[in-house]
Amino acid sequence: MTLQFLSDILQNLVSGIAVGSTYGLVGLGVVFLWQSINRINFANISSAMISVYLFYSFYTYVNMPVAIALILSIALVALYGLALRYLIYEPITKRGASKLEFVVATLMLTVLMMSVITVIFGGMPKPFPPIFGESGSFIRIGSITLSTIYLYIFVIAGVLIIFLHMLLRKTLVGKLLRATAQNNEAAQLMGINVNLTTSLAFVLATTIVGIAGILLGPIYFVSLELGGGSIGIKGFASAVMGGLIDPYGAILGGILIGLIENFSTLLISSTYKDIISFVILITVLMLKPNGIFNWTTKKGEAGQA
Amino acid sequence: MKRKRIYLLLLFLIIFLYPFIDGNAYRLYVMNRAIIHAILVTGIVFLTGFAGQISLGQAGFYAIGAYVSSILSVRLGMPVVFSILIAVLVSLVAGLILSIPSFKLKAFFLSLVTIAFGQVVWVLLLNLDGLTGGANGLFSIPRFHFGSFMFDDAAYFYLLAFFLVLVIYVMYRIKNSYMGRSMYAINNDIIAAETCGINSKRTKIFAFGFASILAGFSGALYAHYEGFLTPEPFVFFESANFVAMAVVGGLHHLAGGVIGGIALTWLPELLRLDIAGFENYYLLFTSLIVILFVVLLPKGLGGLFSELLVRLKERWRGKRGTERETPQVRKREE
Repeated sequence: MTLQFLSDILQNLVSGIAVGSTYGLVGLGVVFLWQSINRINFANISSAMISVYLFYSFYTYVNMPVAIALILSIALVALYGLALRYLIYEPITKRGASKLEFVVATLMLTVLMMSVITVIFGGMPKPFPPIFGESGSFIRIGSITLSTIYLYIFVIAGVLIIFLHMLLRKTLVGKLLRATAQNNEAAQLMGINVNLTTSLAFVLATTIVGIAGILLGPIYFVSLELGGGSIGIKGFASAVMGGLIDPYGAILGGILIGLIENFSTLLISSTYKDIISFVILITVLMLKPNGIFNWTTKKGEAGQA
Repeated sequence: MKRKRIYLLLLFLIIFLYPFIDGNAYRLYVMNRAIIHAILVTGIVFLTGFAGQISLGQAGFYAIGAYVSSILSVRLGMPVVFSILIAVLVSLVAGLILSIPSFKLKAFFLSLVTIAFGQVVWVLLLNLDGLTGGANGLFSIPRFHFGSFMFDDAAYFYLLAFFLVLVIYVMYRIKNSYMGRSMYAINNDIIAAETCGINSKRTKIFAFGFASILAGFSGALYAHYEGFLTPEPFVFFESANFVAMAVVGGLHHLAGGVIGGIALTWLPELLRLDIAGFENYYLLFTSLIVILFVVLLPKGLGGLFSELLVRLKERWRGKRGTERETPQVRKREE
C-alpha cells in the first residue's frame, strides 16, 4: 500500500518535472521575444503544433528517417519565426500600431494556423509516432514503475536546457542577445547588429517551442490541442513566474506548474487541474507581479508591461 | 447638424426596413447574431479603446450572462425578463471583481488574468454537469417574451436594434462626460491623470463594469434567442475573436464595435461557399483577412470610414467653390 503510494508520488514527480519543463520551454519562447522586441507573441504555441504536424507528415507520409524528419521540421519552424517577424511584426510596427494590434494579429495567426491544419489533416487527433518508446511501456526500478515516455522527455528537456544555458552564458551569441535585451540602443551603439539579434530571437523562440511541441507530442498526440489549448496559457504562466525576464525562472515556473498539475490530479481531481493552475497564476500575478522565480529584475520594474 | 440628423434618420429607416426588404430567414438570423456581437464588442471598444484596459476574457462574461439567465429560466421557471436582469447583475459582479487586478497590472499581465478568468469559467461550464448540462448543453431555453408577446426573428431584430442604438447612445453620452474624459486621461497617461485628481481605480472599475454588463447582456440575449446552449461558443478563441472585431471595427471609434461586430460576423458567412472540397476553408480565409486588416489598417474600418468621410466632404466643398473651413469652425458645427 505505502509502496504503491510511493511509486505514485515518484511517478508524478518525474512526469510533473518532465511535462513542466516543456511548459517552461514554451515559456522561454515568450521570454525571448519579450526581451528582444517588448511584445508578447500569442502565436507562440502555434510553433509547437506546426513542428509536431510537420514531423508527423515527414515521418509517416514521406517515410523519412527520424533524425532527418526532426531536423527538417525544426528548421521549418525556425523559418516560421522569420516569417512571423517580416510578415506580422515589421509591417505592424511600421504603421505605428500599438501593442494590442500585435496581440490580435498573433492571436489570429494562431487561429489561421489551426484552420490550415484542420483543412490539411482534419480535426481528429493522430497518434504520435512511437519514437520515444511505446506509450504503454514502463521501467521498473525495484518495485517502483516509471513510464518511459516521461523519462525520455525528462532527459531531452534537461539536455536542451543545459544547451540553452551554455548558449546564453558561454558564447558570444548569448552575450549579444543578452546585451540587446538589456538595452537595445546601447547595444546598437556598441556595434551590435540589433537587426540580426532580433531575427535570432524570433528564430530561437519558435525553435525552442517547436522542440517542446515534439516533446509534448506523445502526451497530447498530434492534435490541435497543441496549437491553442491550455498549454499555451501554461507557457505564459511559466514565463510570468520568471517575471518575463529570467529564462531559468521560466523553466522553474514551468516545472512548478507541471508539479502542481500532476499532484492536484493525484490528490484532488483531474477535471479541475487547469483551474488550480490558473488560480495559482492569478494569485502570483496579484501578489508578486515581478514573478516568484526572478533573480534578474529589480523591485518595482515588472508588472508594467 | 441638420444633415447629420438626416443621416441618422436614414440609418434608423434602414434598420427598420431591413426585415421587410430581406425576407431570408437565414440572413435575418445572422444579422441578429451580428447585432448581439456588436453589443458585446461595443463594450470592448469602451474598455480597451477608451480606457486602455485589455481583456481577453470577454467570452467568460458572455458565458455567465447566457448560462445564468438560462439556468434561472429553465430550472427555476423565472420570467425571462427577470432572469436576464439577474444574469446581467451576476456578470457585473464578476466584472467588478476582475477589475481589481487592473489596479496593479497592465497590458499583457492583465490580459493573462482575463484569459485565466475565461478559462476558469469555461472549465466550470464543462464540468458542473448538474447545473450547466456539461458538454451536452442546456436545452429548451424559453425564447424572449414580454407578457404573452413572443418575439419571432423579425421582432427580435427590432428589439436588438433598439438595444444597440440605446447602448451607442449611452456610450456617446459617457464619452463626453466626466467619466469618459477620465477614461481617455488614464489611457493616455495614468500618472498625469492621477495628478490631476482623477481617481484611476474608480475609472477602471467603471470601465470593467460597463463592459461586463454589455457582455453579460448580450450573452443572455443570445441564450434566449438560440434556445439551447453548449460550451463551444464560449471558448478562449471566441474572446480573441471579440477583440479582433473591436480592432477591425476601430478601437477608438464610437461605432467601432458595431462595424467590427457586424463585419466579422458576416465575413465567415459570406465565405461559406458551397464549392465541393472547399467547405472547411472559410475559417482559414476569415482569419487571414482579419490578419490583413489588423496589419494593414491599424485604425480599423471605423477610422477608415471617418477618414473617407472627411475627404469626401472636403472634395464636395471644394467643388462648390467654398473655402476650406478651419478645424475650429468645423468642430463647433458638429
